[in-house]
Amino acid sequence: MAEPNSQKEPRSQQSVPFDSGKAYLGTVYAKALLGVTQQAGNTAEVVAEFDSLVADVLDRLPLFDATISSLRVPAEEKLALLDKVFNNPRLPARMSLTLLNFLKVVMRHGRLDCLRAIHRALRQLYDALQGRVAVEIRTAHAVGADELALIADKLRRTTGLDVSLQSRVDPELLGGLVVRVGDTVYDGSVRNQLSRMREGAMDATLRKLRETGQQFVTN
Amino acid sequence: MKFNADEIASVIQSEIEHFQTTVDVREVGVVLEVGDGIARVYGLSGVMSGEMVQFPSGVIGLAFNLEENSVGVIILGDYLQINEGDEVRALGRLLSVPVGDAVIGRVLDPLGNPLDGKGPVNTTERRIVETNAPGVAERQPVREPLQTGIKAIDAMTPVGRGQRELIIGDRKTGKTTIAIDTIINQRESGVKCFYVAIGQKDSSVANTIKVLEKAGAMDYTTVIVAGASAPAPLQYVSAYAGTAMAEYFMYKGEHALIVYDDLSKQAVAYRQLSLLMRRPPGREAFPGDVFYCHSRLLERSAKLSKELGGGSLTSLPIIETLEGEVSAYIPTNVISITDGQIYLQPDLFFKGIRPAMNVGISVSRVGGSAQIKAMKDRQVAGGMRLALASFRELEAFAQLGTDLDPATQARLDRGYRMVELLKQPQYQPLNVVDQVMVIFAGNNGALDQIPTSQVQAWEKAFLQFVRDQKAAVRTQIAEKKELTDELKNALKGIISEFNATWKPGGK
Repeated sequence: MAEPNSQKEPRSQQSVPFDSGKAYLGTVYAKALLGVTQQAGNTAEVVAEFDSLVADVLDRLPLFDATISSLRVPAEEKLALLDKVFNNPRLPARMSLTLLNFLKVVMRHGRLDCLRAIHRALRQLYDALQGRVAVEIRTAHAVGADELALIADKLRRTTGLDVSLQSRVDPELLGGLVVRVGDTVYDGSVRNQLSRMREGAMDATLRKLRETGQQFVTN
Repeated sequence: MKFNADEIASVIQSEIEHFQTTVDVREVGVVLEVGDGIARVYGLSGVMSGEMVQFPSGVIGLAFNLEENSVGVIILGDYLQINEGDEVRALGRLLSVPVGDAVIGRVLDPLGNPLDGKGPVNTTERRIVETNAPGVAERQPVREPLQTGIKAIDAMTPVGRGQRELIIGDRKTGKTTIAIDTIINQRESGVKCFYVAIGQKDSSVANTIKVLEKAGAMDYTTVIVAGASAPAPLQYVSAYAGTAMAEYFMYKGEHALIVYDDLSKQAVAYRQLSLLMRRPPGREAFPGDVFYCHSRLLERSAKLSKELGGGSLTSLPIIETLEGEVSAYIPTNVISITDGQIYLQPDLFFKGIRPAMNVGISVSRVGGSAQIKAMKDRQVAGGMRLALASFRELEAFAQLGTDLDPATQARLDRGYRMVELLKQPQYQPLNVVDQVMVIFAGNNGALDQIPTSQVQAWEKAFLQFVRDQKAAVRTQIAEKKELTDELKNALKGIISEFNATWKPGGK
């Protein structure tokens, strides 16, 4: 099974044109899937399978992704394809019935193009269910594994939640660390501090100029 | 003049020395789409309606629509610098504008930035743009007059301090002129004036500012401009921003006047925003809350109670109609919100009756109690509206060409002269005492022997005569604000004395 917290996250929100409509659909389907798995008690397995589906199949085989997303391929053919690929007794790994059925339902509704959005929403909902929170950290330079563990540990203690870290390198930060939890950003980067210092100096000069305008001028 | 670089450097140095490295915590979102003055933002899950957000270019926006997946933001500035994928941060504040004496005499944009090249607005005080109107307990009835300086209005549809009087009419009927005259007439009254130009040609705004400057009115006036080329969000916000600046004086116990020129364009800007935000359109494609948009704006004009200082904010909203259609959506809305309307008609305007006020359907629902007693007198403006209405009826009847008995002919003649007397050139407001005297003269038949074409010349000469030779009577009326029998007799004496000497000029 794929490790979801790997460093190279191929498609982050920033790099892909984001479709809020798909994100909404994703949440709807993900909630439905979670409802089923919670009753069956196999949530962890299904989520792990879904992770693998996205990372090992869709990402590696773009043609397969395109085929099942395409509206031109008839439904029967897609159905046969899904069965052949995921429920083939001759292949070593077979998909759980829950996920396969779910895929078929998604297919019947013509929403297989939303699989990534569904996966993203599912991951989020599942993390929230587990008391886990996805945290994105950005640094100016690559960070070693032990430092990452240190940061994760610290975050775990401050948030009181299990943290799944995703780190990215952004040289524009110059230094320091930017942590993003949900929609909240904790910005301790050098870039931010420099720009705030600049604003502060500008404000102070303007204020001084207003109060004692003549001080700056020599006739 | 030379700038002293060392001083500036020392300020910056101290700023750097005292800089504290703190972690900047902010709530962010990502721009999904942008265009036409609005942006759709993903994220910002904790943002509140009306909260300010900031784009990387420094442009400010307001959270306008809170939806399940995204936030609709109206952009108060240049939206062309904003790109898809930009990080948007919530500022946790509401929009505010600079207020205080520093804004007086300035030309500002709706965010309070100077447009007149006279340097920064020197004030630290700010006021939130969208505030609640004062409640019932915080008000008192409108009582004091706000003199517009226009005879027809001060006599028949008087405006009181704290009143909302709508100026409505087709294009080119003199709506703005009435508002400008009113501002010019506040020279001695101490009323602070605010002129909000919404969606107007920048050339006409420049012209208006010039007129105000020439009349010396910019000493107590602020002009807020969101011109025709300004983005719709700025046009929409400008009315509220101007009100916030004016309200400051009201809550300080002073008196202020605000002119919205005009609210139809503000409604159009609001319609544009709402349609772009996919709010459902209603009548004439305006959103359902366009009434509330105007009512919450105009409710902020008030006469405050004594406990709160007794300040007032009078508003003169302007609405432009198409082909005299007052039953369109926005005109009916604003008519029902305001305390009366001054209705201007193109046919009157082209007949030379300026201000082109239609007396029959112009009303002031509260201003009557704010008129000074001298003006309210039965021999001055008391029965004037009815008299003019019956004159119009008679005039229509007389056009049939029938022979008229002398009494009817006399009434007609009086009417023609009264109409002539109510004409007034633009940018020449008249003191209320002068108004009282000339209307009194007209009602007492002083003009009956004067040719109609000479009425205005007579008026001018008469007022000059009183000012030069009978100043005592004039000051008495000004002090008492009432026409006692004594003063009436004195006035009658002056009129006959003047008429004995006055000779109609040429023509």
